Amino acid sequence: MITFDHVSRRYRERLALDSVSWHMAEGECVVFVGPSGAGKTTLLRLITHELAPSSGTVTVGTFRGPRLPRAKRALLRRTLGIIYEDFRLLNDRTVFENVALAVRITGRFADTEVVPRALYALKEVGLQQKPAAYPSELSAGEKQRAAIARAIVNRPAVVLADEPTGALEPASAKEIIGLLRRVHDEGAALLVVTTRLDVGEALGGRILRLHDGRIVADGATVRSPYAPPALGVRPPAVAPDRGA
Amino acid sequence: MHLYYLREAWRSFRHHPGLAWTAMISLTATLLLCGIFLLLTHNAQSAVRFIGDRREMVVYLRDEIAPEQRDALIARLTELYGTATFVSREQAWEEFSQQVGDPQLLQAVDQNPLPASLRVRLRPELLNYPAMEQAAKQVSQFPEVEDVRYGGEWVRRLDELQATLARGSLAVGVTVALAILLVIYNTIRLTVMARRREVEIMIRLGASDRFIATPFALEALGQTLVSALAALGLLFTLQQFVVQQVVHVTFLPPAWIATFLGGAVLLAWAAAALALARTLRSAGP
Repeated sequence: MITFDHVSRRYRERLALDSVSWHMAEGECVVFVGPSGAGKTTLLRLITHELAPSSGTVTVGTFRGPRLPRAKRALLRRTLGIIYEDFRLLNDRTVFENVALAVRITGRFADTEVVPRALYALKEVGLQQKPAAYPSELSAGEKQRAAIARAIVNRPAVVLADEPTGALEPASAKEIIGLLRRVHDEGAALLVVTTRLDVGEALGGRILRLHDGRIVADGATVRSPYAPPALGVRPPAVAPDRGA
Repeated sequence: MHLYYLREAWRSFRHHPGLAWTAMISLTATLLLCGIFLLLTHNAQSAVRFIGDRREMVVYLRDEIAPEQRDALIARLTELYGTATFVSREQAWEEFSQQVGDPQLLQAVDQNPLPASLRVRLRPELLNYPAMEQAAKQVSQFPEVEDVRYGGEWVRRLDELQATLARGSLAVGVTVALAILLVIYNTIRLTVMARRREVEIMIRLGASDRFIATPFALEALGQTLVSALAALGLLFTLQQFVVQQVVHVTFLPPAWIATFLGGAVLLAWAAAALALARTLRSAGP
């Protein structure tokens, strides 16, 4: 699903990633743990083709190559669900509109397609009561839940999360970890980068330790004792559409 | 075209009214300037066309030619240059008398000195100085012809006036087109910059360039159309004022109005495409 083959990334003199090789299988949960500056965010940006590797090859599904053209980059990103530490919600749109935007980006414009999907995603993350709220009216935990709803609304095969609990207090962080576990249990591959080992352990996936741009440890898959049960509801039976 | 794009364009307009109104005021002023020049050009062209339609060549005939020779000449000139009309010596005197109007002055002339002539209303393609000069030279070679007059200097000046008007229209047209391009280009760049975070997020979510650009382009087209209509409204008010206070001028004909609106929208589209192609490339990862 995702393969790094001797990938290096250099920012002028600084080597952010140094000949990193790893593979993530379909439906797997992988957590990269490492201190700030270890190369975690660079790794995510290489997956989304925000950056091109200085050397080596990054393969994401059927997308492979040094730097994809703009149209293909957009297509690749539509197959991924991405969650950021700072949420990156559009502040002038309601929670519902933020989630619906991700559906429209895939080329679905009819309300009959957009509305049920967006409402279902909000229900999955427990924000069904707040579709009309603006991000400024939400707590940090709720914002991250809205961002997760936006990431999963198109049922991506892979969900990427960049320090998903970084801006949250412990209780909200636990909720978000629970939500991410559910997303994974629903069948999506989950790739999380974090500075916190406890987050990696709570998620219960395969933990890779990253330090100074190198993978220094590749741990076995550990099932978290905190993993919540899967959601009792199933997603709408609509096949993902990658066109827009 | 999805309704979503129109809603987004309207949302953008509402969220940045200052920028939108500044652009529309600039565009209205620019287009009004263009409209004023178009109005002047249209009225000047009408006047020149009216005067130009009256341009004719006068062929003076020798006194001794027979009516058969005269009729053959009329047929030949009509075939080659345009409709030729015979004016007898008596008709010429009558016209001259009416123009002079002073009986005492006319009585001082003891006999009619005016020759018979043919007035040739030239075909449209001959209504320019080089063609008229050439035609006059050819006609003066006919043995029945005494002299040919066509007001060469006057025709040349008329042609120069028309050429100057055409050059002026082109210069103003190009200047206004550049101004529209510049205003739209910069407005879109500023709008995209003002919404840079939103654009960046959309790019990260996988939005195509078309998805992001369409609302911006629609907003620019809408602003230009409204500005062009406002400029036409102001121009009409100005024309009415001039008609009432100064001199009669006619408003732009429908074809000119359609070209004016279509041209403005087309330019806005080109400027929007240029600006968006450039700014979106630098807006996101």
